[in-house]
Amino acid sequence: MSTDQLAELSRLLYFPTTLMLYLGAAVAYLYALTTTVGRQDERDRGNLARRLGGVLAVAGITAHVAHEIARGLAQDRLPLGNMFEVTSLMALVGVVTGLVYLQFIRNRPELNGFVLVTGSLVLGMAMLMYAEPGPLMPILDTWWRPFHVSLLVGAMGIFAAAFVFNGLYLLRDTAEAAVATQRSQPGRGSTVGAAYIGDVADARTGPDGGPEDDEERERADLLAYHRALRAGIPKVKLAVGTFVGTGLVSWVWLTTADTLAAGLTRFLTVNLVMVAAALLARWFVPFLPSTATMDGLAHRLTAFAFVLWTVGTIAGAMWAEVSWGRFWGWDPKETGAFLTWITYAGYLHARATRGVKGRGAAWIGIAAFIVLMGTYLIANYVVVGLHSYADL
Amino acid sequence: MTESSPPPRMNPPVRTGPSRPSGPAGFVRDSALMGWRWLARMRTALYLLGALAVLSIIATAIPQEPNVPSTVAAWRAGESGPGTTASAVLDAIGAYDVYGSAIFLAVLLALYISLTGCLIPRIRAWIRLVRTSKPPIARHLGANDERQVLATSASVDEVHDTAARLLSEQRWRVRRHAGGPDDPRPAQVAAEKGLWTREGGSLIFHLSFYVLLGAIVFGQLATFEGQRGLVEGDPGFRDTAVSYWSYSPGRWFGEEEHDGWRLELDEFHVDWIRDPLAPGAGQPTVFRSDVTVTPPDGEPFAAVIDSNRPLNLDGTRITQLDWGYAPRVVVEVDGQVVHDAFLTPTLVDGGFYRGAVKAPAAEPDVGLDLFLYPFAPDDEDGRPIPTGAPWAEAPLLVLEQFRGDLQLGATQQTVNELDTGALDPEGFAALRPGQTIEVEGVTISFPELRQWVGLQVSSRPQVPFLLLAAVLLTGGLIASLYAYRRRVWVLAVEEGSEGRTLVTVAGRAFQRPEVFEEELADLAEALVGALEPGSPDRTRTGPAGPDHEPEGRAPDPDRTPSARGGA
Repeated sequence: MSTDQLAELSRLLYFPTTLMLYLGAAVAYLYALTTTVGRQDERDRGNLARRLGGVLAVAGITAHVAHEIARGLAQDRLPLGNMFEVTSLMALVGVVTGLVYLQFIRNRPELNGFVLVTGSLVLGMAMLMYAEPGPLMPILDTWWRPFHVSLLVGAMGIFAAAFVFNGLYLLRDTAEAAVATQRSQPGRGSTVGAAYIGDVADARTGPDGGPEDDEERERADLLAYHRALRAGIPKVKLAVGTFVGTGLVSWVWLTTADTLAAGLTRFLTVNLVMVAAALLARWFVPFLPSTATMDGLAHRLTAFAFVLWTVGTIAGAMWAEVSWGRFWGWDPKETGAFLTWITYAGYLHARATRGVKGRGAAWIGIAAFIVLMGTYLIANYVVVGLHSYADL
Repeated sequence: MTESSPPPRMNPPVRTGPSRPSGPAGFVRDSALMGWRWLARMRTALYLLGALAVLSIIATAIPQEPNVPSTVAAWRAGESGPGTTASAVLDAIGAYDVYGSAIFLAVLLALYISLTGCLIPRIRAWIRLVRTSKPPIARHLGANDERQVLATSASVDEVHDTAARLLSEQRWRVRRHAGGPDDPRPAQVAAEKGLWTREGGSLIFHLSFYVLLGAIVFGQLATFEGQRGLVEGDPGFRDTAVSYWSYSPGRWFGEEEHDGWRLELDEFHVDWIRDPLAPGAGQPTVFRSDVTVTPPDGEPFAAVIDSNRPLNLDGTRITQLDWGYAPRVVVEVDGQVVHDAFLTPTLVDGGFYRGAVKAPAAEPDVGLDLFLYPFAPDDEDGRPIPTGAPWAEAPLLVLEQFRGDLQLGATQQTVNELDTGALDPEGFAALRPGQTIEVEGVTISFPELRQWVGLQVSSRPQVPFLLLAAVLLTGGLIASLYAYRRRVWVLAVEEGSEGRTLVTVAGRAFQRPEVFEEELADLAEALVGALEPGSPDRTRTGPAGPDHEPEGRAPDPDRTPSARGGA
C-alpha cells in the first residue's frame, strides 16, 4: 500500500469507524445500565445490549489501534508528534485503561458507558486539531520523546476518566442530598424510604392489591424515586455551569481560529456537546453506583495518573537538559505541567483534609482537569514557547 | 456486666500548664505560635498550593520577561497588550517576572514553612512508630475483620511456625505470641505491613522538596552558562571568561574553573523538506554541527553536536541554541578596507535575515542596513524574487547604505541594528555572492556566504542532586500511594480429639479494602500449600462470619484502640 493510501485508511479508521463504534458501544452500555432495575424481560434485553456494547467497544479499540498503526506506517514514525496524535492517543489510553480497570479490576462493567462517552468526546476534540500525517523534526527524533510524551498522554487520558467520575460523583451526591432534604421536610409524609416519595404513584394503585400490584407499585415507587433524584439537580444550573466551565477552556478556539465564525462554531460545538453530555449524565444519575464508589474510582485513577504525570514531567526536564541545555525554564508548557501538577497535588491533599474531602476534593479534581485542558490548549495555540515548534 | 468504674467527676480539676509570659513578650510568643500552627495546617497548605497555582496562571497568561523579553517590551511600550497604564500596574506587581517576584518567593517560603511545620511532628511520630511499634496481638477478632477459616491435620505449633515463615518471606513484620493458660490472648502469629512504608514514602516525597530546593540554590551559586556564536571555519574560541558573548556564572564559579579547550565549527548541517506539497513541508530534517575540539593539553579531535546529543567535555555541556547565515561583507572606502567580517544576521518573520555593518573606520562612518534572502531566484526578466524559503540556494543581499555618525557607544543598539538617527541614506543595492558593487564611492562586496551556530556552554554541578530529588520524589510518591497498610493474624486452635486444627486467618485493611478479601484468600491458600504440599485434603470454610469464632468468645470491635485510627 502506498503512503497516501495508508494515510487515507488511517483517516477512515479514525472517522467515522472508531468514533461511531465508541458511540455505539456507549449507547449500548448506557441502555443496559437503565435496565438493571427493570422487569425480567428488560433485564434480558439489557444483558444483550451489554454484550453488544462489549463487542462494539472491542471493535472500536481495534479500529483505533489499527488507525494508529496505519498512521504510524504512513509517516514511518510513532504517531506521537502533534496535538491531533497526542489527543487521539489520550482517548485510546483513556478508553482502554478505563474499560480494563472497570471490567476486570473493579468488576463494574455497567460503568463502561461513561468511559466510552468520554473517549468519544476526546476523540471528537482531537478532530478539531486534525493534521495530515507527516515526518518529524530532528530535535524530536529521539527515544526521549516517546518516553516523555507517552507518559504524559497516558496521564491525560486517565485524568479524563477521573474527571468523569468526579463529575458523576458530584451529580449523584447533589441528587441524593436533595432527596434527603426533601424527605426530612416536615409534612412530606413518611421518612421511611424512597417508596413514599412518589405520592402520585401511591394514589393510582389501590391500597389492597395482589402480588402483581405490589410489584407494579414497587416499580412505580422506584421510578418516582428516580424522578426525584433527577429533579434534585437543577437542569438550568447544570447546563449553564457546564457551559461556563467548558468555556474556561474552549475560549482558546475563539482567539486562534482563522475567522471569528469558525472560532465561534468550534467554541459552541465543544460547549454544547459538553452541556449535552452533562444533561445525559443527569438523566443517568439514578442508575449510578454509590457516591463512595465513584469517589474512590476518581481518587485511584487520579493517584495513578499523578504518578505518570510526575515521572513524565521529570523525563521532560531531563530531555530539556540534554536538548536545550537547561532543565527548567518556565516555558509556557513547563508552567502548564507545573500548574497541573500543583492542582492535582491539591486534589490528593484535599482528600486527606477534614472538611474538604468529598465534595470539596471533587471540585478541586474538576478544576484540575480544566487547568490540564486549558494549559494544554493555551500553551499550544495562544502562547509561543519552546514547545510550540513541536506543535505539541 | 455491671458498671464498675466510678462516674466521671462533674468538674475535674483543671491542670494548669507551665506559666507563660504575659505582656508584649507573651503577645509576640502567642502570635508566633498561632501563625506557626496556622501554617502547619493542611488547609493552609491547600490555600498556598492554590496561591501558587494562581501565580502560575498569571505567568501563563502574561508574557514573562525571562522567556519573551521582546513581547514584554512591546507590552510596556503599549504596542501590543492591554496598554501602558495596565502595563505599569503589571510591572509594579511583578507580573512580567512572576517566578522572580517577591509574591512568588513569599508564597514559596510560606509553603516551605508550612511543609516543615507539617513534617516535624510527622517525622517524630514516624520515628517513634518505627522504633516502638509491633504488630498488635489479637485478643478477640473484631467483627469488622476479613477472615478465612481452614482446617488442617498439622499441629498448632506447626501451623504457627509455617505461618511465621511464610509471612516473613512475604515481607511482613511478624510477631509470634505463645499464649498460655492464664493469657487472655490466644497463641497466634500477628503480622503487619505497609505501616512504615506508606507514611515513610509520604515523608520521603515531601522531604525531596528540600533536596530539590537545596539543589536549585546550589545550582544558582555553582553553575556557569555562556553563549557564543561561531561561524563555519572561524578560528573558534577558547573556553575562557572573556570569550563568551553572554556570560552568567554563579557566585561560586571562579574564572579558573574554565577548562580552556578550544572549539572550532567545521561545518553546520541544516536541511528541510523542500517539496511544498510533501507532508510536513518546510520542517527541518537535519540540525547538526561538526566541530573540532582542542583540549588544553591534548590532540585535537572531531566531535558532533546534534539536537539531542550535546557535546560533553568533562561535565561541561555544549548545546546548539541557534543558527543562521553568515555573509562575509567587505567594505572599501577610497581603496581602504574599513570592514571585512562575517555578520550574524537574525531571522525576522517572513523568512529573511536582518543585520548591519558598522564601519566607524571610514570618514564619515559607513553603515549598512542588510537584508539577506536565502532563496531569491531570478524570474524570466532576471529580477530576483525573494521567497520565504530558508535554504540558501539563491542568496540575495539587499542593503541600504548610510553615511554619517553611527553613534556607537552613544546610543543603545544591538549588533544587527543601525541607529539611523544621525545617518543619511545614500542608496540601495542588491548583491549575489561573489558580486561587488559601488554605491556613492563606497565599494561593497559579498564574497561568500557561510553559516553560524549559536552555542550554549553550561556547567551544572547540581544535576546529580536534582536527579536524586527526582528519584526520592517519585519513589516516595509511589510508596505513599501504593503501600497498603494491612494487619493479619493467624490463629490455630486444636479442635476436638480428631487431631484436626482449625486455623483462622484474619486481617484488616486500612487502605483499599475491596481487594483485601482476595489477598487474604491467597494468603490462606499459600498457608495451606505450605502446610500440606500436594495434599488436596483440606476443608475451606472461609470467608466466615462472626459465628465461626474459634475461641467461642463474642466479637469485640474495640479490641485494639490503635487499630481504629488508621489513615
